[in-house]
Amino acid sequence: MSDTVVVIGGGPAGIEAARNIADLGMKAVLVEERERLGGTPIFESYAALTPHFDDAEEAMDGMIAALAERAGADVRTNSTVTAISGEAGDFVVTVDGPSGSEEVAAGAVVLCTGFTHFDPGRERQIYNYYQYPDVLALQDLEVMLKAHDVRVPSTGKVPERICWVQCVGSRDRNIGNEYCSKVCCGVASKQAIEVRKIAPDSRAYIFYIDMRMYGYWEQQIYWPAQEQYHVQYIKGIITEILEKQGGLIVRGEDTTMGRPMEVAMDMVVLSVGMEPSEGTKTMAGVLGVEQNKYGFIEVARPPLDTVSTNREGIFAAGAALGPADLEDTISSAGAAASKAVALIRRGSPAVV
Amino acid sequence: MPIGGHKQQPVVHELESAIVEGVELTADWNRQLESRVILDYDTTNLFALAELTDAESIEWCYGCGKCVPVCPVDVVGEYGPRKIHRKAQTGFDLLNDPDLWLCTTCGNCLRVCPKEVDMIKIMPAAREAAMAKGNPVPAELQGVFESTFKQGNALGQSARKRAAWTKGAGVPVRQLPKEPGPVEYLFYVEDYWSYHPRGHDAAQACARVFHQLGIDYGILGHEEKTLGDSQRLAGEKGLFEMLVEQVVETLDKYEFKQIVTPDPHGFNALKTVYPKYGHTYDVLHYTQLLAPLVDQLKWTRELDYTVTFHDPCYLGRHHGEYDAPRTLLMAIPGLKLTEMMRCRENGYCCGGGGGGMWLDSHTQNHTTERLSERRVKEAAESGADVLAVCCPYEVSRFEDACKSTNLDGQLRVMDIAELLDEALGGIDAVAPTEDAA
Repeated sequence: MSDTVVVIGGGPAGIEAARNIADLGMKAVLVEERERLGGTPIFESYAALTPHFDDAEEAMDGMIAALAERAGADVRTNSTVTAISGEAGDFVVTVDGPSGSEEVAAGAVVLCTGFTHFDPGRERQIYNYYQYPDVLALQDLEVMLKAHDVRVPSTGKVPERICWVQCVGSRDRNIGNEYCSKVCCGVASKQAIEVRKIAPDSRAYIFYIDMRMYGYWEQQIYWPAQEQYHVQYIKGIITEILEKQGGLIVRGEDTTMGRPMEVAMDMVVLSVGMEPSEGTKTMAGVLGVEQNKYGFIEVARPPLDTVSTNREGIFAAGAALGPADLEDTISSAGAAASKAVALIRRGSPAVV
Repeated sequence: MPIGGHKQQPVVHELESAIVEGVELTADWNRQLESRVILDYDTTNLFALAELTDAESIEWCYGCGKCVPVCPVDVVGEYGPRKIHRKAQTGFDLLNDPDLWLCTTCGNCLRVCPKEVDMIKIMPAAREAAMAKGNPVPAELQGVFESTFKQGNALGQSARKRAAWTKGAGVPVRQLPKEPGPVEYLFYVEDYWSYHPRGHDAAQACARVFHQLGIDYGILGHEEKTLGDSQRLAGEKGLFEMLVEQVVETLDKYEFKQIVTPDPHGFNALKTVYPKYGHTYDVLHYTQLLAPLVDQLKWTRELDYTVTFHDPCYLGRHHGEYDAPRTLLMAIPGLKLTEMMRCRENGYCCGGGGGGMWLDSHTQNHTTERLSERRVKEAAESGADVLAVCCPYEVSRFEDACKSTNLDGQLRVMDIAELLDEALGGIDAVAPTEDAA
C-alpha cells in the first residue's frame, strides 16, 4: 500500500486536493501538463473571481504558495499521466515529464482536469462569433477586464452599449448540452459590474432565459449589479446577431412584452457554458473511468458520494465532474483528498 | 364574472423606424408576419426616474411579475408595476404618460414584491417631478389641488360650512374654537364626512355613537383643514407641506390626548408622514376607538342584514388594522358578516386612493371599468345586501358604482358608523337637542 496520491491537474481543484493530502500526512504528486500551476483562472486570464471579486492571479498565487510550503507535495509541471496499472492501494502511474518517463507507485488517484469554455463558433454558428470581431465570449472579456481596459475590438473605443447573451452552449438539446453551466449568470453579472466600474458611461444589458443565481449569489452579484450598477436585465434571449453600418444589432423576443426586439449594441459578450476539457476526456480514457454523455466524469454513488468514480481508488474533483463554481470546486477537492487518504489509511478499498 | 375582468389590449409602443446611435433599425423581415416593434432600450428615462428622491427602487425590479396579478388597476386595464419598469427600460417616459395617474397607491404590489419596489413612494415622486416639469396634469385633479389650496378641502367648500353636519346629529358636538378647553379626543372629521351629504349621514351617526358612550371629544369646526395625504400621494408635496404647517398650527392651540379620525388617509398622514416633519400625534381610526368599547353599547334593534366589509387600503394593508371594523360589525345583533373573495391583506382597492378619488374620468379612459364597479360586483357576489365601509371616500364611490352596475336595488352601501347607529336606535333613540330641533 503506497502512501502517495497522484493528483492530475494543477488548477484550483488539483492544488487544493494536493494541499489537503499533504496536510493529512500523505504524499501528493501533482501532475500538471502546462509549465505552471494555476489552471483555467490563470491561463484564461481571469480578472476577478466570482462572487467576491478577489483578484484571480493573487488568489491562485496564494494557493500555489501555500502548496509550496507543504513538504509532502511534489509538483511535476510539463508532465502528463500516460498509463495506469494495478488497483486501489497499489496503482502504478506512468508520468511523462521533461526528464523522461517515471513510474510512480500510488495508493489512489485524484482527477482534477477541469473544463473548457464552450466554443460559440462551433456547430450552430448562430452568433457569428468568428465572423464579427465585436462578438466576444466571457473569457475574451476577462482578458480586457484584467487589463482594466475594455474596448470595442473593431473601433478601439470604450463601448457605450454592451450586452451579454446567456445560456450560450448550455441548456440546449440541439447542441447536446442539456445541462445548466451554473456559473455563467454570476460571471456575466460580475463582468457587467466590472465594465460599469471601468466604463461608467456604458450601458449594460443582460439577455437571459432565467437568471440562475444560486444561493447567496443572488445578493452578492445579481442584486448589486441591478441596484447599484444599473445593469439592465431583459428576459428574452438573443437568437441573431447582425452587423449593420459597422455596429451590431441583436435580435430576439422580448418575452415580457411578447414582442420581437432588436437592439443596437457596440459589443456582445456570449456567456459560454462549460464543457469537459480535453484533459478530462483524455485522462478518463487513460484511467478507465466512466464519463457521462457530455464527457464529464460520472460519479459512481451519487448523491452522498460526490467524488468517487466507478474505478475504486480513483476520485475526481472540480469541474471535471461537471459545471462547478470555485466554491464547489474547492469543496469537492477536499472531499476527494479525504477519501483518497482514508482509503490508504484503511488499507482496503472495499468499504463503501 | 371573470375574476380578472375584461382586459384591455396591451398598448404597443411601436415605431415604423428608429435611428439609434446613428444606426437605422429598419428591416422588412418582421413585417411579413406582424407589425414589428423596435425597442430602443434607451434607459435614460428609467435612470432619471430612479434618481428622483424616494424612487430609486423602481430599478430594483427583476421582473418576477408578482405585482401584476394583485394590482387592482391591471384587473381592469393594462397596467402594473412590472410593466412600468419594463416599459421604462425601453424608453417609455412615465412622466409624460397616462400611466402616471393610474396608481392608487393601494400597496398590494409592495405587499408581494420580493425586491421591495415601492410604488407608494415612486409614484408620488414621479408625479411631483412631472408637475415640476410642467407636464400636463389631469384637469379634474388640478381642480382639486386648487380647491385644496384655496379652501383647505378637496371639495372646494367654504370653511364656514365645515361643521354644518353637526346640526343634524341630534346630539351635541363640541366645537373647540367655540368651546375651548382640554378634551380627551380631538375628532378630525376630514373632508368627505364634513362636506359630502352621505358623509354627513355617517358623521352624524358616529356622533350619536360617541354620545351614547360618553366619549369626551371635540372637533375643530371651521378651523379644520384637510390633512392632505391623498394630495401628497397625487404628487402635490408642496401643497401637503403647506397644509402640515397650517394643521399643526391649529392643533397646537388645543389640548387633547388623542386624535380620532374616520379617514384612513388622514390617519395615514398623521401616523406615518407628520412624524417625518417632526410632528407626532397619538392617532386612532374611529373603529379602533370604538372596538374596545363595543360591550358598552346598548343595542335596541336587530339588523337582519348580510354584510360584507370592504377593507380600506390605508387602514388594512398600510396599517394592518383588519380586526377593529370586523369586531364592531360582528357585535351588531342579527348582522351576518360574509367576506368577499378579496379581503383583508388582499382587499381590492376602491380606486380612491393616491388621488384616484379625483381621477375618475382619466382612469375611465384607460380602463374597462371603474375599480369601485368591480368591487361592488364582488360584494354582490358574496351574497351581501349591505356593503359596509369605514373610509369616507367609499360611500359615494360605491353608491355611484352600484347605480352604474344596476346593483343599487340589491346592495346598500353603509358606513360602519351608520350600522352601529341604526342598531342603537338611530336619531330616535337620542333626546332631542336644540340643534336637532
